[in-house]
Amino acid sequence: MATVAAGDERTVFVRKATGLVRGWSTRDAFIYAAFSINLVTLGLYIFGYAPFIPEGSLLWAVLLAGFYLVVQGITYASLIAAMPRAGGDYVWISRVLGGGVGFVLAITGWWFILWMWVPIYANILNVEVFGPMSAIIGWDSAVTFLSDDDGLFFTSIITALLASGFIALGMRTYAKVQKFCFYGGLVGLAIVMLLLLFNSKESFITHFNEQSADLYGVQNAYQATLEAGSAGGFAVSGVGSFALGSTLLLIPMMAFFNLWSNWGATLYGEVRGASDFRQNIYAMAGALLATSLAAIALFLLFSKTFGWDWYNAANNAFWAGTIPTGVWPYPGLLAASFLGSPILQFLLIAVLSLWFFGWVGTVFLSSTRVIFAAAFDRVLPEGVAKVDRNGVPYIALLLMLVPSIGIAALYAYSADFQTYTLAATLVIAVTFLGSAISAAILPWRRREIYKASPIARYTVMGIPLITFAAGLFILFLGFCLFKWFTDPDEVYAVNDSGSLIFMGSLYLLAIIIFAGSRIYRRRQGMDLSMAYGEIPAE
Amino acid sequence: MRIYFATDIHGSEVCWKKFLNSGAHYKADVVILGGDMTGKALVPIVDDGGGQWHATLLDNRETLNGEEEVAAFEAAVIRRGYYPFRTDPDELRDLSADEPRWHALFEQHMLATVERWMEMADERLAGTGIRVFVCPGNDDQLEVDEVVANAKTVELGEGRVVDIGEFQLASSGWANRTPWDTYREEDEDVLQERIERMTEQITAPPERTIFSLHCPPHNTGLDEAPQLTADMSLKDAGRATIPVGSTAVRAVIEQYQPALSLHGHIHEARGTHRLGRTLCINPGSSYEQGQLLGVVVDIDGKKKVKNFVLTSG
Repeated sequence: MATVAAGDERTVFVRKATGLVRGWSTRDAFIYAAFSINLVTLGLYIFGYAPFIPEGSLLWAVLLAGFYLVVQGITYASLIAAMPRAGGDYVWISRVLGGGVGFVLAITGWWFILWMWVPIYANILNVEVFGPMSAIIGWDSAVTFLSDDDGLFFTSIITALLASGFIALGMRTYAKVQKFCFYGGLVGLAIVMLLLLFNSKESFITHFNEQSADLYGVQNAYQATLEAGSAGGFAVSGVGSFALGSTLLLIPMMAFFNLWSNWGATLYGEVRGASDFRQNIYAMAGALLATSLAAIALFLLFSKTFGWDWYNAANNAFWAGTIPTGVWPYPGLLAASFLGSPILQFLLIAVLSLWFFGWVGTVFLSSTRVIFAAAFDRVLPEGVAKVDRNGVPYIALLLMLVPSIGIAALYAYSADFQTYTLAATLVIAVTFLGSAISAAILPWRRREIYKASPIARYTVMGIPLITFAAGLFILFLGFCLFKWFTDPDEVYAVNDSGSLIFMGSLYLLAIIIFAGSRIYRRRQGMDLSMAYGEIPAE
Repeated sequence: MRIYFATDIHGSEVCWKKFLNSGAHYKADVVILGGDMTGKALVPIVDDGGGQWHATLLDNRETLNGEEEVAAFEAAVIRRGYYPFRTDPDELRDLSADEPRWHALFEQHMLATVERWMEMADERLAGTGIRVFVCPGNDDQLEVDEVVANAKTVELGEGRVVDIGEFQLASSGWANRTPWDTYREEDEDVLQERIERMTEQITAPPERTIFSLHCPPHNTGLDEAPQLTADMSLKDAGRATIPVGSTAVRAVIEQYQPALSLHGHIHEARGTHRLGRTLCINPGSSYEQGQLLGVVVDIDGKKKVKNFVLTSG
């Protein structure tokens, strides 16, 4: 707590009391925000989808969305400042919009839909880690296995077990693992950038052709990939070209990677004043901007060294199923081709994989928190919050693990289901929309909470800053949702009857659980409306 | 019997007022405040002369013109759970240099506030039939006990076993050691002796016994707090959490097995946990927001408590 203002004047006298700490390091908060956006794991993966909107500019879409989504950081930093340690979207939405809305939005966005993130993560684990590593060591049967349905299902089980294992380690250990992975992953990313910076396109063509021949037995792979990807007239403009309409269409796709700067937002501890509020903005918005700029740097390096037309053609060929190597053109592996030595290539992929392993645990971490909160509110049975002697939330983990295996099976064995990847983003975006609406109306709906917070003095043109920022964030989410749900060209693949039924069933399940619990608890003589009803002060 | 329990309001007057109204609001027979009722900070409002003042709250420096703005600022300070006081630059300078003096001023404001709160309780609760217990916590100076004990409608819980209907309530606000060297903390073995001296007085069977122990039992999830670095910063941006509850409290609960054990102390560790037949609850605290977190428990004397709901009032 600050005790001295400008000059030497003392502004507050603090006696000894529990919980008075110096705050947290902005660098640490930045690390977790940057990790949650995750340029390598989520970014590189979704950039590969860009050929679905060939006229759009990936560079400008990432840049514009990155700068615009600073409003998301301000919105969440404001919510944290007004309602610190509340536990995130569930409590924020519940307190402002009501317990039912809070439960349904949080349980779908932070629990049910994360089942789907397991096979998505597994797919990323395959194409960015296991697949390239198997190829480098010459384990061809593994490469084949991992690229088929059984391989994806198998890796999904590994992903779910990994996530469970990290949760079982406990927060203290997991935080250390994450920090190690972040710094290690940064080293890997820096090596990739340096390789791309100091090598020419001609050199890449040579090395890539050699690598493809060694790993996949494909000759003259560069030219063959370009031709496969350009079939049917596919072409992209230069990396810096700008076509407004198409570029805007890319933004809802990029939300898969850049919508998560707030992921660890609820964990930052007690907010003591305006400086903490600003610190949260610096961490979240800073991580978002830094990641966006790093992505731009990568695009420019891809363009210089791979050739922008080739990079996009390779991804296009992959989605068309015509890529000569048969595998996704993972930029990490492409850059590793410069290293020549299989050992060095393997090591680079391993170091880059830290971006995956450091973050995979969060797939279940957030869910277990929401499950616990719902159990404490008696919406879910008390037993789901049980932990074993070591503090492992085994029931909550099972509630994640078992359904995620079922969803993984659907994802692995149903080609249609696999196309619903963006549904995993959409449902969380709806939850964020609930929080954004809660933030926008907080100054009026929970006036006392707002007035008691350090953000009450911040306004923009007379409008509370939280309302202003949340309003802009709502516009962003509204735009994305509109595009996802209308999507006449089916580029996002979520405006599909199967996808809509899948997502709708998640909401229906949440509503049934909430309504059923209310009825059941009322029969027990306990009215659940007590959970969020405010006691009058006067 | 219906019990309402809240804790750790740390000087928030809004929370205290809500607590006084909680019995009627939740139709509770007994309401219990589990400790740490006093504020953490004293905020000077400095007279610059000519009707102008300045002060800082939550890192925001404000210039205040006239009595109305000063009063509004004081209300904001009180809402946050701090104590405002008016001063001038010279007095503030002297006070800043004299620690015993500002501690005395702090105590004066704190005790005056508790006295006022007790009067408020007498006004609001007299004749309602709702029993009200307050048990100061480790952050409350020992002098608070006397003020609470002198209240007409509020009963002091510290160190006592009291009959409430067919049940007995045993309370203590003492905690195990903290990094802040607070007013009511001690080593685990001493704490265990303190609690056991109290539980020896219990005559009710475990299923009709309620503990209100400010400090939560160790490693139950009700005691998960952010790990601190050597310089008292939050480690890993608050992501690294560790159990900081009391092993003594846990041992006594496991040994005695009361039906219900109510706790506070760790604001972010809102939740429930079963230790054998005992339902342990820490409702958490959001006092800074004027939000009174609590728990409503229906207890019927059977082996286990089944009905409860954590509230955000």
